[in-house]
Amino acid sequence: MKLGKMLKAGAFALALGVAATGTAIGTASAQTLTVGVRGGPESMDPHYSALGVHADAMKHIFDTLVWSGDNLQIEPGLAESWKPLDDTTWEFKLRKGVKFHDGSDFTAEDVKFSIERIPVVTGPTTLLIYVRRVKEVVIIDPHTVHMKTDGPAATLPNDFVRLFIVSHKAAKDFSTKETAPDGFNSGKATVGTGPYKFVSWEPKGDLVLERFDGYWRGKGAWEKVVRKEMPNDSSRLAALKAGQVDLVNYVSSADWQALKRDPKIDTFLADSVYVMNLQLDQREQTPKVYDIDGKPLAKNPLRDPKVREALDLAIDRQTMVDVVLEGLGTPNNQLMPKGFFGWSAKVPERKPDPAKGKKLLAEAGFPNGFQMDLYCTSDRLPGDGAICQGLGQMFAQIGVKTNVNAISRSVYFPAQAKKEYSIFMNGWGTLTGEASYTLGSMAHSPAPELKLGAFNRIEYSNPKVDELLQAAGKELDDAKRKALYEQAMDLIMADRAYISIVTLQTVWAADKGKLKMAPRNDEDTLAYFITPAK
Amino acid sequence: MIDTSTPLGRFWAGFRENPVAVAALTMVAAIVLVAVAAPLIAPQDPYDLGGLSLLDARRPPGHVGSGGYVHLLGTDAQGRDLLSAILYGLRISVQIGLLAGGVALAIGASLGVTAAYAGGIVETLVMRIVDLQLSFPAILLALVLVALLGQGKAQLVTALVAAQYAYFARTAYGAATAERRKDYIEAATATPLSRARVVFRHLLPNCMPPLIVVATVQIANSIALEATLSFLGLGLPVTEPSLGMLISNGFVYMMSGRYWISVYPGVALIVLIVAINLVGDQVRDQLNPRLHR
Amino acid sequence: MAGYVIQRCLQAVVVMFVMSVIVFVGVYAIGNPMEVLIPLDAPQDVRELIIARFGLDRPLWEQYLVFIGNVAQGDFGRSFVYATPVLDLILSRLPATLELTLAAVFGATFIGVPLGIWAGYRPDAVSSKTIMGLSILGFSVPTFWVGLILILTFAVSLGWLPAGGRGPTVTVFGIEWSFLTPEGLSHLLLPAVNLSLFKLAMMIRLARAGTREVLLTDTIKFARAAGLSEGTIVMRHVLKLIAVPIVTVFGLELGSTLAFAVVTETIFSWPGLGKLIIDSITSLDRPVMVAYLILVALLFVTINLVIDLTYAALDPRISRGAAS
Repeated sequence: MKLGKMLKAGAFALALGVAATGTAIGTASAQTLTVGVRGGPESMDPHYSALGVHADAMKHIFDTLVWSGDNLQIEPGLAESWKPLDDTTWEFKLRKGVKFHDGSDFTAEDVKFSIERIPVVTGPTTLLIYVRRVKEVVIIDPHTVHMKTDGPAATLPNDFVRLFIVSHKAAKDFSTKETAPDGFNSGKATVGTGPYKFVSWEPKGDLVLERFDGYWRGKGAWEKVVRKEMPNDSSRLAALKAGQVDLVNYVSSADWQALKRDPKIDTFLADSVYVMNLQLDQREQTPKVYDIDGKPLAKNPLRDPKVREALDLAIDRQTMVDVVLEGLGTPNNQLMPKGFFGWSAKVPERKPDPAKGKKLLAEAGFPNGFQMDLYCTSDRLPGDGAICQGLGQMFAQIGVKTNVNAISRSVYFPAQAKKEYSIFMNGWGTLTGEASYTLGSMAHSPAPELKLGAFNRIEYSNPKVDELLQAAGKELDDAKRKALYEQAMDLIMADRAYISIVTLQTVWAADKGKLKMAPRNDEDTLAYFITPAK
Repeated sequence: MIDTSTPLGRFWAGFRENPVAVAALTMVAAIVLVAVAAPLIAPQDPYDLGGLSLLDARRPPGHVGSGGYVHLLGTDAQGRDLLSAILYGLRISVQIGLLAGGVALAIGASLGVTAAYAGGIVETLVMRIVDLQLSFPAILLALVLVALLGQGKAQLVTALVAAQYAYFARTAYGAATAERRKDYIEAATATPLSRARVVFRHLLPNCMPPLIVVATVQIANSIALEATLSFLGLGLPVTEPSLGMLISNGFVYMMSGRYWISVYPGVALIVLIVAINLVGDQVRDQLNPRLHR
Repeated sequence: MAGYVIQRCLQAVVVMFVMSVIVFVGVYAIGNPMEVLIPLDAPQDVRELIIARFGLDRPLWEQYLVFIGNVAQGDFGRSFVYATPVLDLILSRLPATLELTLAAVFGATFIGVPLGIWAGYRPDAVSSKTIMGLSILGFSVPTFWVGLILILTFAVSLGWLPAGGRGPTVTVFGIEWSFLTPEGLSHLLLPAVNLSLFKLAMMIRLARAGTREVLLTDTIKFARAAGLSEGTIVMRHVLKLIAVPIVTVFGLELGSTLAFAVVTETIFSWPGLGKLIIDSITSLDRPVMVAYLILVALLFVTINLVIDLTYAALDPRISRGAAS
């Protein structure tokens, strides 16, 4: 009986067209924005996780001192301005008149409380990396704080884009490892200054939010926001087409071309922060490269610049984008997406030339090529496994027999950290939008004492690059720092120990004419910045 | 003509009466043949990355690729000829099904028969473990084992064997308990024959009929289980796609109308499993003594 | 009888203890969760701090003892990914899975058994052959494939039913159920159908095999000879005689479906236990994996125990045989 009614309702709605289907079956209405997201938060405690999907959800409820704009440029947030006072002190001037959801005022006390709370409550995907430079927070007056750092920290404002401010009053009793999850997940401590108030959340389920009318940027367009976690790309898109949700993120490259032609759907495209990088082990001995018959080699051929260039010349980046990613990416020649702070226009464009690659290999002493095991993640970023197989095809063209291993990230990263691979590819996201984060981790020689080179898993070492990066890290003048990073980038890319292939792009899809949005580089889907089309 | 004086002859005579089962058996035989001969008849070696071209990727059935031949069933996202990929995929599926089924049969039957013959503490222990495992869903066990062992054919077969041997052990135990009470076993035990000889030469062969029935079902189950694990991303490596992997890789293209990447491997998989199950069904009906009273 | 009950309960406790060791060691061997969870760009000092905080720097046996000690106090630990107590996480997912499972298994039983009896009763009728053909199909076609086709047909092409997720819920007895609202029911329909197909095929085959055997027995021959109507024979004798294996399988299936729902839940984004376990395997969320597997083991040990005890109650020979 119920079923029959429902089917009738469905058929009726179908007759009225897609717009009506939304109201008949889904929960959508003019004032509610229902978003199907691929990944959701891990907790309602903003300090628990540093994951992008976590921050995406948290930005609805909480604010940060420093705001990261659509293109990751840093802008004033809860802090109106900031400046370095000396080598180890940054001054932050806080915004006045900002209210928390419970009506209390936002002050310096909340900033100090939030920063000091992080080391206590953070989970394994730790936020510590964003506040580890801060030694002490000194309150000067209710709207001025001084951050004492452990040395010159030129990029401290960039580190703060994921530093969420919680209310020190509401969160006071919920700031130990045991009490924090219960306090925040129940909503008792989930009091922020953000555009939306917390209503309810279930892990891997729905996050329901209600508009906060006293928001300092002015109140948002949607009265209610529901973020439904739908990890399967096809199911998420099907939910959009069936009218269950108004907007979905991460449209897969497989669906994008067809969606662009769909008259009932609007799509929004942005460059992501992720670049796919091939990484070539630079140690004297390397485990996974062999001669053409599979026997071990006396020395690591990847240390030969000619071999590295040959591999680079084998890669047809345009085909990678056009075929493997079906257009959802752009060819790239360096470790960061175009336009980021430290991106260099001087790095030459990379064009495929397999014939020349073959010649270089012969000159390097491999006229018949060699054999290697290529490792990549297959479940971390869109297209990673497919790009990996594409690389295998392309390397075969210059006579390098490639055994492709596209594997789960839960196997890949532990082994990669133990340096078990010789040649491997994974994506790297320049989450802060500037070079110190990316180049400092990947391109500096491993130097734990300087907190540099932590992710340099190929032991790449160029003294000149190290020098430039160290100088840039201490340079507080933006223009000079930028020039130093660009120089470093030129050198790194010329060495070809890191071979960048493509920048991934991200697509959102929405019901036609439903809404307007400026797609963000950091892939966030922020309801406050999405407005109804009418 | 068929010699109905031997058990096999009588069996075949019965089998022939069911045309559906005969057709299914023919289909199974054809698929096994095709799977064995895949490297000879497939237009392309789908595992040789050097022989693929990305420019041929996701072409619909009938497309003439850069290799100069027609891709009868289209190509996948890496430019693989789907027909070749399916033939090789069938090869993997059949291989894994037979291997996992065979090893599980060997281990399970030995355990079951030994337990039945030995009795006492061995019997209790073995059958308790088997019963417990039987109630535990095979998919979950296989899932955890594959996560534990990692990717690869050997690991997958190990996981499937571990998940399935219990069915054989239970069946063999049941048959052997009934069998050992019979006079000839009592008589054999009384002779100076070694115990192992009694178990494996006398007891086991007489437990075979029900085991064969379970084996057909379990081979089909192994194949389906492998496909499911691959679908969940825990199966074989992507560079050597099994049928399950092909289906799962192709599914992302279903919404955009490129159905062939997922549908044809799916059809191949279903035909294979249905055919095996149909044969198994007939065998079961024929070997079930209670239906021939 | 009392002796038998105690003996079986003790066995169950020992089994659970062994299972807990196997699960703990097994999950430990799968991999170090911190390698996946700690951000790639975290420096070594931060890394060590976090590993120590979660107690993962200690030897395995010590971790196990701490774990068992906590479990004895009803604490299964906290999820690495979600920070919340694992037990809460699992219990919050249980109603969704239970609802789906019950709908699927009940549906399969109430449709499958009559069809199976019919097919066994008239084995040579065309309708019976069709039923059996379909049951083989249901048995053979992998669940994930059916799920995909269902979504494409009913959600995408026809737009009749939602593609995934769970509908709005109503709280009854403190538990949230979605089948009580029309919209919740519409969300439940496709996944329940998907999950029940395999069970349906199984119930049909079970009922058919049982019926065929029962019809050949003397009981039925006598009943027929006594002139009882065919309807009475089927309803009174056949159904009664095949009930025991069907009820047994029903119980076992209820249990195994709870875990087999993994595939269906993944495809339909159903927020149940199956999805939780798959997610925890991929993110190596050790506490969730351990607790889930131990609870599943507990479930099956309990089901086995209940079945054994029920059999013993029904058939006194079993308990006497075991006690002697």
